[in-house]
Amino acid sequence: MNEHIVKSYEDELNTLTAECARMGGLTEAQVGDGIDAVVRRDTTLAEAVVARDERLDVLEADIERKAIRLIALRQPMANDLRKTVAAMKIAMNLERCGDLAKNIAKRTLVLTEAEPMSPLTRSIERMGKLVLGRLKDVLDAYTASDLDRALAVWSRDDEVDEHYNSLFRELLTYMMGDPRTITACAHMLFVAKNLERIGDHATNIAEIIHYEITGAETIGSARPKTDALAKEI
Amino acid sequence: MSQTPPRGWLRLSGPALITGGLGILAVLALGAGGLAEPDVATWTAAALTVLVLAVVWRSARVVDPEGQPPLVPTRPPHENAPPYVSIINALPDPVLVIAAHEPDDLTGRRFVMVNDAARDLLRIQFEAGLLVTAIRDPQVLEAVDEALFGGLDSQAVYEMGGAQARVLKAFAKPLGEAPDGSRLALLVLRDETDIRRAEQTRADFLANASHELRTPLASLSGFIETLRGHARTDEGAREKFLTIMSTQAERMARLIDDLLSLSRIELNEHIAPQGETDLASAVMDVIDALGPLARERGVTLVPCLPPRGVAVVSGDRDQIVQVAQNLVDNALKYSPREGSVKIALVSGLTADAAAAPLRAQSARLSLLTPDHGPDLYAALRVTDSGVGLKREHLPRLTERFYRVEGQKSGERSGTGLGLAIVKHIMNRHRGGLAVESVEGEGATFSAYFPLIPGSLALPAVPSPGAVTKPS
Repeated sequence: MNEHIVKSYEDELNTLTAECARMGGLTEAQVGDGIDAVVRRDTTLAEAVVARDERLDVLEADIERKAIRLIALRQPMANDLRKTVAAMKIAMNLERCGDLAKNIAKRTLVLTEAEPMSPLTRSIERMGKLVLGRLKDVLDAYTASDLDRALAVWSRDDEVDEHYNSLFRELLTYMMGDPRTITACAHMLFVAKNLERIGDHATNIAEIIHYEITGAETIGSARPKTDALAKEI
Repeated sequence: MSQTPPRGWLRLSGPALITGGLGILAVLALGAGGLAEPDVATWTAAALTVLVLAVVWRSARVVDPEGQPPLVPTRPPHENAPPYVSIINALPDPVLVIAAHEPDDLTGRRFVMVNDAARDLLRIQFEAGLLVTAIRDPQVLEAVDEALFGGLDSQAVYEMGGAQARVLKAFAKPLGEAPDGSRLALLVLRDETDIRRAEQTRADFLANASHELRTPLASLSGFIETLRGHARTDEGAREKFLTIMSTQAERMARLIDDLLSLSRIELNEHIAPQGETDLASAVMDVIDALGPLARERGVTLVPCLPPRGVAVVSGDRDQIVQVAQNLVDNALKYSPREGSVKIALVSGLTADAAAAPLRAQSARLSLLTPDHGPDLYAALRVTDSGVGLKREHLPRLTERFYRVEGQKSGERSGTGLGLAIVKHIMNRHRGGLAVESVEGEGATFSAYFPLIPGSLALPAVPSPGAVTKPS
């Protein structure tokens, strides 16, 4: 049975979605390992995360190439075009998440040189879990083409912001209490900021899924936004 | 080519299938016979036997003279299915058969057969499809590749996120080549959440117990020292010290009770509770029980409950009572004398509506959001008339032993575990928990439980396009 397997247009489109899902899985692992590295002060894991980031870059380039090729050769219309563009945009967002995870891992290498700060680490862990759950939910929504789940992620972005603001206050208290912790706290603050931005990327992906499924560009302005931090600064 | 299927396959698979089937039935019987931990090797070996036969049989039957690839079966899973399908479906562990053509086509791995357990766990809706749409974890995918193209058995730990985080061990085994030239591998997942949880809970318990019990213990031994020493003859001091000591001992007992119940809840957190509970009657019981305490503190309890039968949820009554009790007890602690605690029960809300803020200008945070579950919830809302909570405290409220700064520890003595317990119980019930606070006016805690589908007598909120999921 040496028949030649011709991939259909449908297959090519599905491959694009699948590539994105695979990239998503890798991103989840990177973010999860990045958080684990900070929490457990594991430098080996942190170095592994930094080293693995390249794979995400390669995957993103690959998805982009495949998408452009599909647009050029198959000239997809309507639904199919949206699917193609969505894959490209999601890959871009995932790649950014990967960069942020790499940055978290790099900061771990500095943080392990300082004294451990367990209450802070717990806060980071909690925020990390929340953000990771957000990323998982949105990717599940993407692979299942589930608009409701995507919208649920989109409308709950404020939880991550609240955690970030709370961590910000906590870090300030630490830094004011003991100036020797400032270096470590500043790095922690960036870790928290990175997590918050990964959450934002998850929200972006939810918007892209909404666009892919419905074709409408904006979801509306119903999203609750917290500007507690803005008020205080 | 003739239209008859190749006879060799059928001759082979008939008796061998029966043998394999008997084998697996034996293993199942053995497992049911009280073996606490069924041997993985036995399981996998039996599953392997049946599956190889199954795949070979199916391939032999589906490959027709036109050369149609056997990858996409068109018939529904249970109709006219050969006997092995029901055997595989009866396996408690999720099982997938994965096929692939080329090593380089990384996204081309497809699952061609899944059992019921796998379908439930991975939310797979189709008989066959791309593997990455079901499992994205890079480690598991690598293990599958190893089995497909390296021909090696391999293992990976598969951590599924989500509200009730689960940890599974993935075993991948090569199944050789299918008649159409694609390579096959078997993926068996085994739930190890219990083991992991037990380890984690034990570690947490030890850490918490040793740390938190130390303070009251130190104070107890301090007083014992004093009573033995210079306070031996001082009647007044002895009386005073003994009162303090008994308070500390009570605190230790409460702490141990709470720690134990937290451990118990955590261990079962990923197993949804059985049974039905009427929220209204459970909450009424709690109000009755806490009435004397409220009178003692000069706080009025203001219940606003629907009639019985409107808010029936699936859940463990004792645990639901514990949720209500902890929330009302907390509200009592934070309400001033002459204040009031409102206890409201609203049925038939969507998850979003249940967690939505009640007042404008309030700080609100969802402390626990359920995964995609049923559509309607019943919410228990407990509002105190205290000073409210500052926004920055909200994310940490369910942390163990977290105390809001400036809280007087003497008068408002709690263990610091109440809300942690509430959160874990809510998570076990696949419910949610939200807090809302206005500084100076008080805080509201909303705990919402999934309603039993179809139990709602009065449709309060119409839900268009509601899909009832098979439970």
